[in-house]
Amino acid sequence: MPYQNRMELLQGTLDLLILQTLMWGPRHGYGIAQAIRANSGELLQVDAGSLYPALHRLEKKKWIGAEWKVSENKQDVKVYKLTAAGRKRLTQERTRWEQITDAIAGVLNPAKKENQP
Amino acid sequence: MKHWWNWRKRSDELEKEIQHHLQMAETERIERGASQNEAQAGARREFGNVGLVKELARDAWGWRWLEDLYEDLRFGMRTLRKSPGFTATAILTLALGIGANTVIFSFISAALLRAIPVRDAKHLVLLRWKARTQPNAGFGQFGDCEPNLENGVTSSEQIMTSDCSFSVPFFREIQKGTDTFASLAAFAGTSPLVLSGTGAARAVRMPRYVTGEYFETLGIRPALGRLINHEDDAASAPATVVLNFRYWRSEFGGSADIVGRTILLNRVPFTVVGVAEKQFDSLTPGRPIDLWIPLAIAPRIEAFWSNQNLDPSYWWLVVVGRLKPGEPAGVAAAQLSTLFQNEMSHGAYGVEGRPMLKPEDGGAIELEPLGQGLTGSRTELSRPLFMMMLAVGIVLLIACANVAGLMLARAAFRQKEMALRFALGASKGRILRQLLTESLMLSCAGGAIGMLFAGWRLQSIVDFLWASQHGNLPFTPGIDARALFFTGAVTIIAGILFGLTPALRGLRVDLTPALKEGTGSSAPAWRAKRGWFSAANSLVVLQLALSIVALAGAGLLVRTLENLKSVDPGFDPKNVLTFSLDTHPLGYTRAGSDNLFRELQKRLEKTPGVSAVSYSWMPLLAGGMNKLGYPMPGKPKNELAVVDVMPVGPEFFHTMRIPLHAGRDFNAADFATAQKIGAARIAAALKSEGTAANAGPAEELPPTPAIVNETMVRRYLLPGNPLGQIFGAQEGDTAVGIGKSSGFQVTGVVADAKFARVRDAVDPTVYVPITSGDAAFSVRTKADPMKLVPGVRAMVNQMDSNLPVTKILTETDQIDRLIFNERLVARVSGVFGALALLLACIGLYGLISYEVARRTQEIGIRTALGAERSDVLRLVLIQGMRLALAGAAIGLLLALALTRYAKDMLFGVKAADPLTFVGVIVLLLGVTLLASFVPARRAMRVDPVVALRYE
Repeated sequence: MPYQNRMELLQGTLDLLILQTLMWGPRHGYGIAQAIRANSGELLQVDAGSLYPALHRLEKKKWIGAEWKVSENKQDVKVYKLTAAGRKRLTQERTRWEQITDAIAGVLNPAKKENQP
Repeated sequence: MKHWWNWRKRSDELEKEIQHHLQMAETERIERGASQNEAQAGARREFGNVGLVKELARDAWGWRWLEDLYEDLRFGMRTLRKSPGFTATAILTLALGIGANTVIFSFISAALLRAIPVRDAKHLVLLRWKARTQPNAGFGQFGDCEPNLENGVTSSEQIMTSDCSFSVPFFREIQKGTDTFASLAAFAGTSPLVLSGTGAARAVRMPRYVTGEYFETLGIRPALGRLINHEDDAASAPATVVLNFRYWRSEFGGSADIVGRTILLNRVPFTVVGVAEKQFDSLTPGRPIDLWIPLAIAPRIEAFWSNQNLDPSYWWLVVVGRLKPGEPAGVAAAQLSTLFQNEMSHGAYGVEGRPMLKPEDGGAIELEPLGQGLTGSRTELSRPLFMMMLAVGIVLLIACANVAGLMLARAAFRQKEMALRFALGASKGRILRQLLTESLMLSCAGGAIGMLFAGWRLQSIVDFLWASQHGNLPFTPGIDARALFFTGAVTIIAGILFGLTPALRGLRVDLTPALKEGTGSSAPAWRAKRGWFSAANSLVVLQLALSIVALAGAGLLVRTLENLKSVDPGFDPKNVLTFSLDTHPLGYTRAGSDNLFRELQKRLEKTPGVSAVSYSWMPLLAGGMNKLGYPMPGKPKNELAVVDVMPVGPEFFHTMRIPLHAGRDFNAADFATAQKIGAARIAAALKSEGTAANAGPAEELPPTPAIVNETMVRRYLLPGNPLGQIFGAQEGDTAVGIGKSSGFQVTGVVADAKFARVRDAVDPTVYVPITSGDAAFSVRTKADPMKLVPGVRAMVNQMDSNLPVTKILTETDQIDRLIFNERLVARVSGVFGALALLLACIGLYGLISYEVARRTQEIGIRTALGAERSDVLRLVLIQGMRLALAGAAIGLLLALALTRYAKDMLFGVKAADPLTFVGVIVLLLGVTLLASFVPARRAMRVDPVVALRYE
């Protein structure tokens, strides 16, 4: 099922990135932004105005869970982790993403299709 | 609450999360080599607008509307606090309007809307018979339902007579003959009884006879002991009685040992077996019962009931039934109708051997839901209550218009704030919601205060309205759930009503000029503000118009009252004490009661402070009617003269100061004659009971001596000397049950005097010597009549300790009671008319004040350019008067249209009475002039220098 509108496209993409990042272990908000930046080669810089609303949204939908832990410098940190439902969602999002990219590739390289036997 | 608590926690956590993020960002930058300050600034910049982020994050929680509401409330509180004058005025105005509505509604709720205090009322029905002509029977009515006993005119007209009374034998029939009812019960009222055996002898004003199934059918439970049941309702059962809860509290001090106690009713011992539950005060609205006695015991109290209980032609029971669940009322009604028709045509016989109802008269029985059928006091109270509701409705409307006007005026000054909010991105809906929240806050505050005040002072309001009436209010108004709900609804509606007007206007704002200008001297802004004020103007005009209506109504009603009070009753009502004695329940003979009354009269005459004493069947102007028809000489036999008949004792006319115009007052011989005639009539009636033959006494009796009034002479007597004329003689007609009579002979003529009601014109009146065992004494005193009361009680007690003295009040109080409705309505409408005017003037004052403030610059300019102070004064006053005149004109038209409907409440004054209307308009103009004067003076004192600099 493709995205319904622009907002959902943006949100969906961000959700995908966040969920995937958490796949590799729990992190706090800043850490998630850092990881996305690093893994994308400094290309994708998620600003706080998108990140935190997304995190809270995902938390409300129960795809990620949150816990308050104490960091090394005795500070309270809110750490997010992926839930079982979130894992399922991640799989769904990945599939959707692949569908989209295939669709876009189809448009960009139509010749390739014609050469298919 | 939990949400709020959660929200706080979440909010704090979000704050911490964001702070942590900022710190991490800062730390990273420092690691990369930035300075402390640079790192901090950079981190912040990268983060973006903290507030916005927080808001977006919070959006995800889904509590946005709650947050917004909270914001609105806080903002509203702040705005309202900034203008305390406006807030206080608005809240007080609303409190007044809403409070008044709550009070009147609680009256209406208690009097008209209350549910009957029985179990499972929806299966309970009241039986009513109906027929095309009045059945040939005798009826006893106690005001439980609305009878329709006018004789049906023609059968084609389908005019039905109907009533809810039945005879005892018929009741027993339907008990046996129907299977559609789970149970049937009957009750009946009776004349007051005398309670003795515990303290001083007292009258029981509201006793009820009930059949054994009564309490069971209604589902009433006892508060103490037990209630009357089948076994009690047998002629041979021991005499039992059940007390009303309230009655038990007031007359027996609520003593716990009441069950099993013996009391005397009409000198017959009864055992109290129980007290009914507290909420069962009365079945019929406005008829709170004192105690219940089994029907079968009635003959023991008053001997004539033994015949009545067997007489199928005396209909005096009210029958209620509980339908079997699932049984349709139609089937039950049909069954009962069949029984009714059978009984009426074949069964028993009515007066003088004729059937009570012929088959073609279409007799039938219908069933009414109990709550609807038993109207009781609802009919007499609904009119004044409705008028009061109207009055307070108008007051509330004015209050709302008032506050709306104030809000409009304020909105004009808030244009800048509105424009700013629009510029910052607020949506129209949001601003509308915020304005509405403000107005709802005002109305809720006003409503709460009004309700508190109403609840707190309800009792004193009741006292004020019910002053000097007989006994307690027949219902107990209280702030119950229904009144609270009503008040809440009114509050919300009022808030929305007056909030919406300025709110809707607040949204049409032209941004740039509004933001740039101050109080406005540029043309477009000026014109925009004019828009505000013409809406405010029309609101004030509306208020003034409504107050004219209220005042005009009040004026007419007050004048009606004054007219009623100043009617010349034809006798002197001042300083007269009245009280009643009833010897019937105590079994006196005619001669015995005669002697008692005579003796009492003599003793009272000798008492210091008393100038004259007499007695009569009822006091004058006590609302008691006694109209009888007599054949007159010289007129055809079926053309009867309808006259008021008043039995009186010796010295009556002298005591009441009714001038004697001719002839003489009654003397001892007259009373003796009357007694003889009365005794002979009773003997004849007892002899002829049941037989159709004997119609009159054996010997020829003389005519009853009578004194007539001038109207009687003029209308019915033969021309010439009225003294000695004989009228009312008749041969007797067995077919209609009238015995032979020698009529009346005129021994004296007196001036016209009012009989029953102040409003009625004086009818031909015939005074006859009193012969019955109950009488009302009238004692003319030299000083305050009430001072005599203890002496009277002592005297009566001495003569017979079992005889209670009842209905003690002065003649003037008696008359006041008669015009209670008019007094109530005049009082209430007067109060509310004044209130309406006050509110309208406050509205006007507020508006003019704002106008002055708004036009300060203009006034400064004018003064600087050479205008005199008096010119400024005139400017403002003219504005005020223009509004007043517009309001007066509209109000006049409205009032003329509406007062027509109150026509039949008025007396001595027309619905379009010019004097009243002119007076009201002059009052309005005068008061509005005053209200405009204060701001006008303020305008006069404007210093042009300050005004010109004023922004």
